[in-house]
Amino acid sequence: MMLLARASAGLIFWAFGFSVLYGLHGIGCAYGWPSTEVGGGNLFRWVMVASWLLLCAGGAALIWLAKAAPSGLERRLSLTSAVVGCAATFVTGLPVAVTSACV
Amino acid sequence: MSALSRHRALTAIWGSPRGWRGTVSSVNHSDIGRRFILAAFAFFAIGGVLAMLIRAQLATPGSAFVGPEIYNQLFTMHGSIMMFLFAIPMFEGLALYLLPKMLGSRDMAFPRLSAYGWWCYVFGGSILIAALALGVAPDSGWFMYTPLSSKAYTPGINADVWLLGITFVEISAVSAAIEITVSILRLRAPGMRLDRMPLLAWYLLVTALMMVVAFPPLILGSILLEVERAFGWPFFDPLRGGSPLLWQHLFWLFGHPEVYIIFLPAAGVVSTVLPVMARTRILGYGWIIAALLALAFLSFGLWVHHMFTTGIPHMALGFFSAASALVAVPTALQIFAWIGTLWKGRPELKLPMLYLLGFFVIFVLGGLTGVMLAMVPFDWQAHDTHFVVAHLHYVLVGGFVFPMLAGAYYWLPHFTGRARIPLLGEAAFWLILIGFNLTFFLMHLTGLLGMPRRIYTYPADMGWTWLNLLSSVGSFIMAFGFAMFAVDVALQIFLSRRARRNPWGAHTLEWAMPLPAPAYNFASQPRVADGEPLAADPDLPLRLARGEGYLAEIRRGWRETMAVDVTTGAVDHVIILPGNTRLPIITALATGCFFLALLFGFYWLAPLPLVVVTVLGWRWAWTLGWREEIGPVPIGAGETALTHREAAGAPGWWGSVFLLVADGTLLGSLLFGYAFLWVVAPNWPPPELIAAGLPQGAVAALAALAGTVLTRLAASAGVAGNNAASSRWASLAVGAQAVVIAALLWLGLAELPAPTGHAYAASSWAMIAYGVLHAFIALLCAAFIRARIASGHIRKGRVLETSVAQLFGDYAGLATWLILACVLAPLVLA
Repeated sequence: MMLLARASAGLIFWAFGFSVLYGLHGIGCAYGWPSTEVGGGNLFRWVMVASWLLLCAGGAALIWLAKAAPSGLERRLSLTSAVVGCAATFVTGLPVAVTSACV
Repeated sequence: MSALSRHRALTAIWGSPRGWRGTVSSVNHSDIGRRFILAAFAFFAIGGVLAMLIRAQLATPGSAFVGPEIYNQLFTMHGSIMMFLFAIPMFEGLALYLLPKMLGSRDMAFPRLSAYGWWCYVFGGSILIAALALGVAPDSGWFMYTPLSSKAYTPGINADVWLLGITFVEISAVSAAIEITVSILRLRAPGMRLDRMPLLAWYLLVTALMMVVAFPPLILGSILLEVERAFGWPFFDPLRGGSPLLWQHLFWLFGHPEVYIIFLPAAGVVSTVLPVMARTRILGYGWIIAALLALAFLSFGLWVHHMFTTGIPHMALGFFSAASALVAVPTALQIFAWIGTLWKGRPELKLPMLYLLGFFVIFVLGGLTGVMLAMVPFDWQAHDTHFVVAHLHYVLVGGFVFPMLAGAYYWLPHFTGRARIPLLGEAAFWLILIGFNLTFFLMHLTGLLGMPRRIYTYPADMGWTWLNLLSSVGSFIMAFGFAMFAVDVALQIFLSRRARRNPWGAHTLEWAMPLPAPAYNFASQPRVADGEPLAADPDLPLRLARGEGYLAEIRRGWRETMAVDVTTGAVDHVIILPGNTRLPIITALATGCFFLALLFGFYWLAPLPLVVVTVLGWRWAWTLGWREEIGPVPIGAGETALTHREAAGAPGWWGSVFLLVADGTLLGSLLFGYAFLWVVAPNWPPPELIAAGLPQGAVAALAALAGTVLTRLAASAGVAGNNAASSRWASLAVGAQAVVIAALLWLGLAELPAPTGHAYAASSWAMIAYGVLHAFIALLCAAFIRARIASGHIRKGRVLETSVAQLFGDYAGLATWLILACVLAPLVLA
């Protein structure tokens, strides 16, 4: 089962990060975070961008960890999963930096 | 023992009685798989006739062929049949029939569950078809959007038929998913490591795992909508704090992964058939596995692209648009691997290859329009037009029907033992290909010209007339093609000459047996040392027939097959499978009575079949196992292994784990719904919140903890052989779970507002009901342990039943704590 767990780890991490961002988006919009000014921006944008960057860093850490998997198919799947998970976290989270918040 | 005597003895053990007795009692995977495939094709034919009626109606403007009421039923049933009664069951049938043969096993992990799933499917499907014949079929679209499907706008029985009929059928899908997962992980030939598994098994494993987590949101949505329709609990009614968008979220949380659940098994067929047709090995085995894992996960992040026009904020649209575009990458990787395999090999243009080429053309076109629709601005223009109809048919017919037709022609000799009659299949292929493209390519244009979906007619001056007429002509050409395919298959079954063994020169294990396949698959099970066993050892079939593999000796008339370590494929233990029984059909009939009681509004009667199902479930578990000590048994090659009741990690434990994963996903979806309504739905906060209830909550929480701990104590005492202590702990666990049930009901009845007043109260009550149900299941498990100790089935070293009871005890405790946290949160936070 460790093979399957390692082969899915990066992608599970992406699913977790995707859910966190979508959940934070819903909560932030419901509780009016965009209208709270903090440090030259608004609370909503700070929270979303910080969460996204943290998740990207977590994804990168997983790539580093995946290199320790046993060689052969297991390492290839672990590494691919971690790279795909990290890249997907970056791409699917990119809207937090460039789109309007709650409209 | 000679090969012939072994064949006769094994057939007597694994075969089914002739006539109706065999029909109702067989649990053999080949029988059940064949039935699934035949029934799915019959439903496909019905769905196809409905499609022809739709096209007949749309062929000309202002047509009076059918009115809007019938038209609504036609397109709703066409979609529902094709998705729920054709595509999923067809792949289930293929998996049930083929998997044990490809994995070098003798059957699936839970043969009675396969049979139960089959009967649920056929009974549930029959309810839907009967409704169609009686003119009361569902008519709100295959996605049943609220409020159209709510009581106010669909007051008749139509929507109930869909909600209850489809939920009934979904029992079969979840059963099959668990069965397939456990079978692939545990029931392989010794030596078949995960990286030596045929690619089709990888595809089916990933698909089955997706089903385990994709179907529960829809099952939950269907239950909530049916409860709203039946009892007025307003989950989806915005006037009382509900939200129609919650339905869409729950539906598409299932609905989008569903597309990949349909595509992936067919892609597995492509990855199996294509290298054989190209006379080479598949290119990029590891990369394909990585791509399909990525595809499986990413497909769960796309569901909102079906909801781009519902007013969701741009940032959220951006998340899902990006994920929708991203999913094209692993899909394309597979396409390139297949093209590379063709490039590397020496392809032969045999009939399965023709269908694969058709698949390439159609599926790639469907994928490209999918990327177009993933872009929000384009989707806003094309949403709900015939462009989307064209896209989804290019994806689903291209991505499922064409590969399955390739697979049908590839494996038909295996099913029938006969060779194909030349040319008829080729003619059918061209009719299907030309007819399909004529029908659906033109629909892109009607869609771009603005023709909406689901309209029953249109005026002549819209400019859509000739395109629609040609589409309709194309659909009839395609129908002739499918009819010709059916005739071709019938001729092969009844008239054709016998096929030789392994007619394609393939290298996977399903061809290492006589044709048609015997009931037991392998006279002895192989040891696998290569990803393509027949390439590495061409004499393997002969040696297996001579009994030179595992489990060649017949023992006590048992149905034996090997279980292996998940990753390494090393011998783990021997599984003794149950024989033919009528329990599955009787349990499915009782389950059907429950659904029918709800459908006809006899709510007072519905608990009775539930009690019967519970009693049958107890009997189901009770008939397994034995009292005496077995110990290690010889398995051949001088090796011995324990039987599954005495070994850790038996299939029953694994099946329970995956059942609980599905169950946990349902609970997660319920908690998501509760949070979603709090955050997004109108008319919140509710007029009345829970005002007290901490004492009841504390009692429930402590009793749940006690129930979990006591079940664990009972399990460990049972395994240690301390029967008196185990029995005592199990009795106390029963009591603790009874206290949980009482405390949860007390909390709800005394402190929660009426569930009909507001979605808050309805959601809280739904969580309480979930907790009560699971405490009751944990109670039954503890009681079962108590009874099995008394009967002598549980003794020192027997871990299976106690470990399963422990799983359900742990889960019930965890669920109760989560539910209490959510129900009491407004009180604590206030």
